[in-house]
Amino acid sequence: MAYMSMSLHAVNHRLTNVPVKQLPHLASCLASSISNCGELLSTPQSQKSGKTDSDNAVQIHKLITRLGSLLQDRTYEGRWTAVVLVKALVEAGQWEILRSSEPFVRGLISILAKSDPISTKKMCIITLTRIFHLTYQYPTLVREITTPALPGFITSALNLISVKPSSEPVRKLKPNTPFVEVVLQAVNELIARHPTIFRPFTAQIHSLLQVIIGSTSPTFPEHVLEIAQQLFISLHNCAPKNTGGDEWKSACRMTITSVHAASSYVLRAVVEQWESVDPSLRQMSQPQNYSQEVGNGPDALGLEGWQGLNSGVNRLVVLLRMLSGFVGTATASTVTIPVGAILDLTSRLNMVVYPSGSSDIQANPQIGRAEREQLLTELPRIHIACMKLLLDLVNALETSAIPVAQTILEQVLWVFRAEQFSRDVRTAVYDLVCVLLTRIGPSMTKQSVSSMAFIIRKCCHDLLPPTGNQNAATEKPDPKSKNKSSSQATVNADSFLNPGLKQVRQTSSSSSFPDLTRAASELLAATLTHTPSEFLSPALRAEVDRTLILTSDKNAMLASVLNPFPAMQGRGVGTSILPFLARSHPAETEVECLIRPRMPVVMTGLTANGYVPMEDDDDDEDEDEAITAVPASTSTGFLKPTPTPTLQHDDMMDVEKDIPSPPSKRSYADEVEQPAAPTIATTSPSLQSKKPRFEPKAAAVTQPPLDAASPATFTGTAAISVPTSSIAGPAPVQTPKPAQSSIAKPSALAAAAAADDESDDEMPSLNVDPDTEDEDEDEE
Amino acid sequence: MLSECFIASTLASSKAPASATLRDVGVCVHEFQPTLNLRSTFKKSSTAANCLAVSPSHVFAAQSEKAIVHVYSREKGNQEATVPFPERIRSIAVAGGKNGDVLVLGTQGGRLILWETCTGRQVATTASHLRPVTSLVVDPNSNFILSGSSDASIHVWSLVDLLSFTKPPSGRDRQPPNSPIRTFSNHRAAITAIAVGHSAGRYNIAVSAADDSTAIAWDYHTGRLLRTFLLPSNAKSLALDPADRAFYVGYEDGSIQSIDFYKNQSIQNPLHDPSLQSTPSQPPAEDRWAPPSADCGAAHALTLCYDGMTLLSGHQNGKVLSWTVGRKKYASTVADYTHPVTNLFMLPPNGLPHPSLDLKRVAHTIVKPRYDSSLSETSQAAGAVPADYTFSTHLLPSISSKPNSAKPDQFTEAFSHAYFPESMLEEGLAELAAFSQPTSNGAPVSSIAQGISDEDLAAKDSQISQLEAELATLKKKSSVNETARQSTTDEVTKLRSDLANLHDYINELHEKQEQAQREKILRQARKEERETRRREAWFAAEKKGKKGDAVLRKMDAEDTVMTSDTDDQSSDE
Repeated sequence: MAYMSMSLHAVNHRLTNVPVKQLPHLASCLASSISNCGELLSTPQSQKSGKTDSDNAVQIHKLITRLGSLLQDRTYEGRWTAVVLVKALVEAGQWEILRSSEPFVRGLISILAKSDPISTKKMCIITLTRIFHLTYQYPTLVREITTPALPGFITSALNLISVKPSSEPVRKLKPNTPFVEVVLQAVNELIARHPTIFRPFTAQIHSLLQVIIGSTSPTFPEHVLEIAQQLFISLHNCAPKNTGGDEWKSACRMTITSVHAASSYVLRAVVEQWESVDPSLRQMSQPQNYSQEVGNGPDALGLEGWQGLNSGVNRLVVLLRMLSGFVGTATASTVTIPVGAILDLTSRLNMVVYPSGSSDIQANPQIGRAEREQLLTELPRIHIACMKLLLDLVNALETSAIPVAQTILEQVLWVFRAEQFSRDVRTAVYDLVCVLLTRIGPSMTKQSVSSMAFIIRKCCHDLLPPTGNQNAATEKPDPKSKNKSSSQATVNADSFLNPGLKQVRQTSSSSSFPDLTRAASELLAATLTHTPSEFLSPALRAEVDRTLILTSDKNAMLASVLNPFPAMQGRGVGTSILPFLARSHPAETEVECLIRPRMPVVMTGLTANGYVPMEDDDDDEDEDEAITAVPASTSTGFLKPTPTPTLQHDDMMDVEKDIPSPPSKRSYADEVEQPAAPTIATTSPSLQSKKPRFEPKAAAVTQPPLDAASPATFTGTAAISVPTSSIAGPAPVQTPKPAQSSIAKPSALAAAAAADDESDDEMPSLNVDPDTEDEDEDEE
Repeated sequence: MLSECFIASTLASSKAPASATLRDVGVCVHEFQPTLNLRSTFKKSSTAANCLAVSPSHVFAAQSEKAIVHVYSREKGNQEATVPFPERIRSIAVAGGKNGDVLVLGTQGGRLILWETCTGRQVATTASHLRPVTSLVVDPNSNFILSGSSDASIHVWSLVDLLSFTKPPSGRDRQPPNSPIRTFSNHRAAITAIAVGHSAGRYNIAVSAADDSTAIAWDYHTGRLLRTFLLPSNAKSLALDPADRAFYVGYEDGSIQSIDFYKNQSIQNPLHDPSLQSTPSQPPAEDRWAPPSADCGAAHALTLCYDGMTLLSGHQNGKVLSWTVGRKKYASTVADYTHPVTNLFMLPPNGLPHPSLDLKRVAHTIVKPRYDSSLSETSQAAGAVPADYTFSTHLLPSISSKPNSAKPDQFTEAFSHAYFPESMLEEGLAELAAFSQPTSNGAPVSSIAQGISDEDLAAKDSQISQLEAELATLKKKSSVNETARQSTTDEVTKLRSDLANLHDYINELHEKQEQAQREKILRQARKEERETRRREAWFAAEKKGKKGDAVLRKMDAEDTVMTSDTDDQSSDE
């Protein structure tokens, strides 16, 4: 307190003694002193007793009076300083200062009408808005300060950006005023809290907003547009009592109608296949004059007309953004969101896509090729706005979006299929699909998951470093490639001359499109987390895992580890990229609690016999794909001089086999040890599935135990360095045990081996890992 | 202030409540912590077990022995609607996450009815249960519904499939639409209670109890049995630990039993240990907690408080008892509602920041189920969302700012700053400095200058300097040009003067030539004249008879004198 009263004293001293002209340079430090005295300034008067406190009260009073007079000062510098300090004082003092802030408010409003510098006026508007904002929670202060002063403030603020020509409630925007943004922000901040005071001004504000939103060329900056749209939506707050919801609804409906009207003109170069579900919209299409340049007159919202396709697309995008504002902005009361109409609209806009192999558009013969081509190049922009709208809709409805989620997903897939060449479309689609997956992912069917496979592939592709010049490198080692010479001719020589180039490129590629990368990695994590993991085809899952390893994306890797690919009959034990996660993020809490749990953990969900039955035959095809796809990636992986460990998913599988098993392995080992030879025959099926694991060990038994302990049995190539190291954990634990038991009961082992042979067909060939891959490669 | 409440509902009985406040009361909101007291009540309701559902805005109470659901508004504290249904409702649950926008109703006839309370849409399923649906739970993702019936089976339904307008491509097994995706039929008698785990992941569990004295933990994603527990008697109610470590069973005699999943020191989650799955386990008898008195009656409902350490049970005699989980015993009687307490719900505590439970919207009123043709799923075009599908809700201002407005905009930054951000102050200072220049000259600030913002000034400054530089180069160029021109002109004038001089010279020369010509002619003439004179003199001398030659000689001498005197030029001739 002593410090505060001292610094308050110092502030007062400087305010009165320093020449006004030099005050602005002190303003910053004075303001910070004042805001440091918050505790002192906000102490209620009634609690102030005693000498020092009365002294403080005097100081505070002095400060308030001095600032009041500075606000009326003749110089710009004085007024400027006063505005800065008033804001600091009000923020620090809260109620205690606010209750005596009436003269401040008057002074600030009068500054708005003076010929002060722009920054003074801007800060004035902000300070006033802040004062009104702070008083809102105290009804008495609202009555004393806000209610009388607010109309004056609104008028002078609107006067800054516009002129009111006559008595009619319309305003004309001044061209090029620097205040548009700050005034709109202030109005937007206050309108929801003081709807009745703003009610007389709604028509004026509305006319201003129409101009801002409706201007097609030149358009206002994006943030001004955004705030104007928000304000436009918030105008419904001012509707007379209980009609706010209706006002909102009609504004929303009009926006939808306007979009429909605009798109009838914008999309005229193609014949639309869409048919509205709303019967009233079906008859809407009017004959157009195709000979004229595309354009439209004033629409339902009262926005002025536009000419030219570019303006039309701009208008469409602005309106779609406004529509997403409608579902994203807080409302005054209960509103009815026209979900059906919005989806009808987006289905119309999303129906027209860039022509590709699967989808072709039907051209309108009456429109020239130039316009049609221009439209096609503008389509992604429209679709991005649609995606944003749908994203906002899903975010607003949350779980209630479930009924429409599948509909949205189908629209998205349709657009993505045709327009995945556009980076922004991809980003928007990833974001939207990610949100949809969190809602409906767990109950997706195999069909819907596989319909999304191409998005996930593209996603991996986006995350991985560019592989353009690897094609040549991959072709070269392939002995079967006939066009070897021709491919050599097109090789990027840089990649041979400068191996470091790739490294540079990898680091740069991740930072080049941060939005796309973020969206893609979020989508991968969401896919792994929310969709049933058995529905992803093994090849795709391998590609995803490979991408995750190469990008070291912690969240997605965690998602992959926590949702392991289920073990399949004949495909070995479930796979996991856990070692990579442990390598790349050893110090993360999530990794720690995953690997060294203090509480019991849920293991991979295996059925009694250890496998999830795969019911569909077409899985076999997938597996075939996996097998064929693998060697290709293997060869690229080995030859790439990448800095990250280039482990293909085969290698992962090696690892995977070992990772989830240690605990169970131990228990199995225990089981084997405890029951003596005779009980082996009675072992449960689970034990049987376990037996093959002993096979390599059994071979090792003939050798000295030391040999067995060495990782020599794991004939890993260089690329498998990580797996072998991870294997080192369980291996030493195990090797002594088979050694002992086998010595004690060689017959048991022989029996086990025999059983092994018999039950080969029903058991996965667990016998260790790299071999299978090597074989695959050899076959290649 | 931090407070925790629970909601209890009762089944009307013939007994009259002791206190007047509880007369007619069917649903009570009761503060549990910090002080026990009755917060509010909803009247005229009688609910059987599993017939109460609570959403953040409403309480839904399916009336026993009737085909109606009472809807109470929690905000207004009154009964908002009475919704009739075609069949008796035997169980009820709320789906739709934190907002609870979908009400799931299990009917006497064995079907489910889904009612979207914000849109009024209603979807009915096939009557897959052979007996009434007596218990219903919805998983934390709102993706699956588990319905237990007295026909001993539990169906798993996909909420997404039931509600979707566009049916996702279905699997190979062509099921009739709106039928369960899975059936769990390990129980041998009527299902009495189901509880679902708290995980959103795919290894979530469900625990179900039936009248065959068993409780089974199973995986509802696959329908796989995880553990079977042989209970001492028939369980009436179930509650699961918040961390899914144990579950609690309420019995007919009013006793409670806690069953811990983690009994053995195993590194593997015992639920997922295949070796334990086939063998039913019998929880030890000491885990059974005896009720304080024998007349408590059956424990119809169980609920756990937020920290999971206190268990509340609602009993047949109208009492709500609290039990300490840690000490495994009865703690106190929380409330006495006279009528049998059939449902108990612990509400999430007030005043605890809970970002995942923050509502982004709230439904003040429900939309009653609509039966109009456009929304019934048979009449509409396949897959299309009808145009009049609207969603009534009140969108609330989001507490956390939107993530997409990552770029801090000047206004919001200044708005929330203690005074003004440094950048803004500097901008203002610069502007003031620019302003003070004209004022120091004594000139009034022109109104035009006002319109120029700092950026404009800076831009102009740079433009001016650029222009100046340009000007300088131009000047230089022009001066170079000028000099060049100058020199050419000089040269030209010089040449001209030279030319003039040359002309003069030529003229002079011409003159001289002419003069020389003239003189030559003159001399010629003189010569001829002299010749003539000499001839004449010779002739005269001859005539006179004098020697003509002598005269001539004499004349020559005279001539030479004459010529040397008069005309020196002739000397060369």
